[in-house]
Amino acid sequence: MPGKSYQNCIILFAACLFFLLLSGCGEQQESKTGDVPVRTPTRTLKLGLIPEHDIFTQKKRYAPLAAYLSRRIDTAIELSVLSRYGNIIDNFVSNGLDAAFFGSFTGALAVRKLQVQPLARPEYPDGTSTYYGMIFVRKDSGIHHAADMRGKRFAFVDQATTAGWLLPLHFFKENGIADYRSFFSETYFTGTHEDAIYDVLRGKADIGAAKNTVFFRLAQSDSKVREQLQILVTSPLVPANALAVRRDLDEALKIKLQNALLQMDQDAEGRQILQEFGARRFIPTTENDYAPVFAYADKIGLDLATYDYINE
Amino acid sequence: MKKKVFIALLILVFCFSGGGFYIVRSIEEVITNLENVITLHQVEFLRKDLWNKIKVVQTDLLLKDSPHALLTDPFIVHVEEMEKAARICQNCHHSEEVLQSLNHFQRQMDGYIKMLSRVYTVRANQARLAEERDTAFSMGEKTLSEVEQIVITSSEKISKRITRARNSIAETERLLYFLITAGPLLLILIAYFFLKQFTTSVDALLDATRKIQQGNLRYRVKEELPDEFQVLGSAINIMASSLTDQCQRMQQAERLAVVGELAAGLAHEVKNPLAGIKVSIEVLANELSLEQEDREVFLRIINEIHRIESLLKSLLSYARPPEPETSPLDLHQLLETSIKSVSYALINPANTARLIKDIEIVKDFSPDVPPVIADRSQLQQVFLNLLLNAIDAIPAKGTITISTRKESNHTVQISIADTGKGMSPENLHKIFNPFFTTKPKGTGLGLAICKRLIELHNGTIHVSSAPGEGTTFYITIPEKLQLQGITP
Ligand SMILES: Nc1ncnc2c1ncn2[C@@H]1O[C@H](COP(=O)(O)OP(=O)(O)OP(=O)(O)O)[C@@H](O)[C@H]1O
Ligand SMILES: [Mg+2]
Repeated sequence: MPGKSYQNCIILFAACLFFLLLSGCGEQQESKTGDVPVRTPTRTLKLGLIPEHDIFTQKKRYAPLAAYLSRRIDTAIELSVLSRYGNIIDNFVSNGLDAAFFGSFTGALAVRKLQVQPLARPEYPDGTSTYYGMIFVRKDSGIHHAADMRGKRFAFVDQATTAGWLLPLHFFKENGIADYRSFFSETYFTGTHEDAIYDVLRGKADIGAAKNTVFFRLAQSDSKVREQLQILVTSPLVPANALAVRRDLDEALKIKLQNALLQMDQDAEGRQILQEFGARRFIPTTENDYAPVFAYADKIGLDLATYDYINE
Repeated sequence: MKKKVFIALLILVFCFSGGGFYIVRSIEEVITNLENVITLHQVEFLRKDLWNKIKVVQTDLLLKDSPHALLTDPFIVHVEEMEKAARICQNCHHSEEVLQSLNHFQRQMDGYIKMLSRVYTVRANQARLAEERDTAFSMGEKTLSEVEQIVITSSEKISKRITRARNSIAETERLLYFLITAGPLLLILIAYFFLKQFTTSVDALLDATRKIQQGNLRYRVKEELPDEFQVLGSAINIMASSLTDQCQRMQQAERLAVVGELAAGLAHEVKNPLAGIKVSIEVLANELSLEQEDREVFLRIINEIHRIESLLKSLLSYARPPEPETSPLDLHQLLETSIKSVSYALINPANTARLIKDIEIVKDFSPDVPPVIADRSQLQQVFLNLLLNAIDAIPAKGTITISTRKESNHTVQISIADTGKGMSPENLHKIFNPFFTTKPKGTGLGLAICKRLIELHNGTIHVSSAPGEGTTFYITIPEKLQLQGITP
């Protein structure tokens, strides 16, 4: 009976086909081990950040830089964002920070009070490595002179900022406003430059003070900033937010850290991160760079060594 | 049949591979569906997760100025986690509508985060602080309610999609069951079809062989059988007819043997007394002074005795012809001799100057006919018989055409055609039978002897004739006779 052998053939054939198909199906479950084991640095460097932008954005902005530095100096870096400029002086010690990007005023304070050692600061794409503070109002506010400001609301940034506090104080002194608290109907501290700018723009405050770099960065993404705000006064140039480390930090690590920052613009990855960060490169910074701040504080009559910014 | 088997095999292969493919595909589909269900659950979980994370941030916000307030860093971590959870949603969805609502949600979330930062950084009088916090909190609540909304609508959608996935799984299952039952059924059907074809055909053939075996040699396979079985059937038919022929030939041979025995005995027994009678009659006729009338009676008696003698001779040469004595011979010459012999028969015995019939003999001899190796006297006897028959068939005037031709397969054909009265089809069948004659004084042995002698030469003799249209005999003999001990 030939039919039987045919059937056998067919069954065999079908079985072969089935196994072929099954073996074809199995190939998708290849392991996806693309992860490269990360070398975990042994030490941890605690790096403080001041709320130049909103605290979350600030952390995000510094994260790539911190990661890059961490790889370069072979040390884990832990970012700690502080909710207030001034906190950085207190927290530097209490939180056991090893380094921080200080603002010009906090930097100056830290140099005086904590004897921190500045290492480097960014140079902006336009070639500057300094900034200045500005006092601004809404164009439609009708405020042009100090005299127009009586009874208005003033938004400072923080008592530990040059732009957001020293400049206004200087301005008050120059214009004979002895007690700003009674002169203005309300004064408050927004905590960030951004908020000071937006508060004036949105009418939450009438007068604001902030630093030019933040102002112009915001102006780039939001045309209303330039269109609706009027800059009244500016401060002298002060050094940009610099990285300073505690003086007793391992000397080798200090040098490594400084070199890593200064040489960032020499490799592609570093350049990329710098570009995103908004800087061209890092330049060496010393205590001397804070001279304008000291001078400015002097003019106002602040003794930085004893200045207590929290007594508000 | 081969083609059918091949086609059936193809169908089966197709069914199996198709079924296999379908099963694999179904499994894949089910897996995708299950994966979808899992993803949907995952999405559901993610949404819940996001909701929880916002709730945590909101709690942080409420506790901000209380003794239970967290440090800034954990709060930042909470917010970051919340943001990450929100981004995950963004990464998964593709539908334009969902994407739009998600984008809206994302903006809401961004605003909320900005506000959160502000609450943590701002320093102002209590009223402003409270206001900022309330704004942030209410933004948080709005975000929460949006997430809730998404959760509600999506869970609705999700449960719908899960039902759909379940349905499709169930459908696949049903189809698989169908395949599982239909596949073997199809197999059985195909097997049945083939079996039936096999059995009916084999049965028909078996029946035929049984019938033939039982002696019914005339039985033929008449059924329309498929493919190779038809071939086998016709082979059986051919076998049966050749068996019939063989049988007839054997019967004939047997009959001939008996007749031969009989004729030989008879001839032997009759020949001597007949010779005695003949001599006695001749002596008597010479010695007695007889009247002319009486003398003629004697002559007639002698004539009849001659006839008896020649009949005996004919009978003997039909029933027991001697082995052919072969020698190379020129056929044309032999035919000429034969023609000359029969032309004597045409001479009118009363008036030797006149012929009894006006017959023209045409010779159409082909020059390329080679000499053949055969028995001279036997071939001559054949030619004579045929020529005499032709002459007999022509009433008064006619033509006899004798042609020769060399055939391709080392044979020679001799045809003798006359314009005589021809034969009816029923007679045509019988002319080679011994003792069939239509002539009053004929023996009916002439053609029977011719056939026998030609067959002894391994040749064939055929006739074509129609009443009133003359008759043609065709003889084909091999150029060279190979004797193989033929027994009568
Ligand atoms: N050429 C022919 N034309 C018509 N009929 C023929 C021819 N040859 C033979 N027959 C028919 O075939 C019959 C048988 O012929 P066959 O030679 O065997 O016997 P016959 O001629 O009758 O007798 P015999 O040969 O002894 O004289 C004849 O009786 C005749 O009817
Ligand atoms: Mg005859």
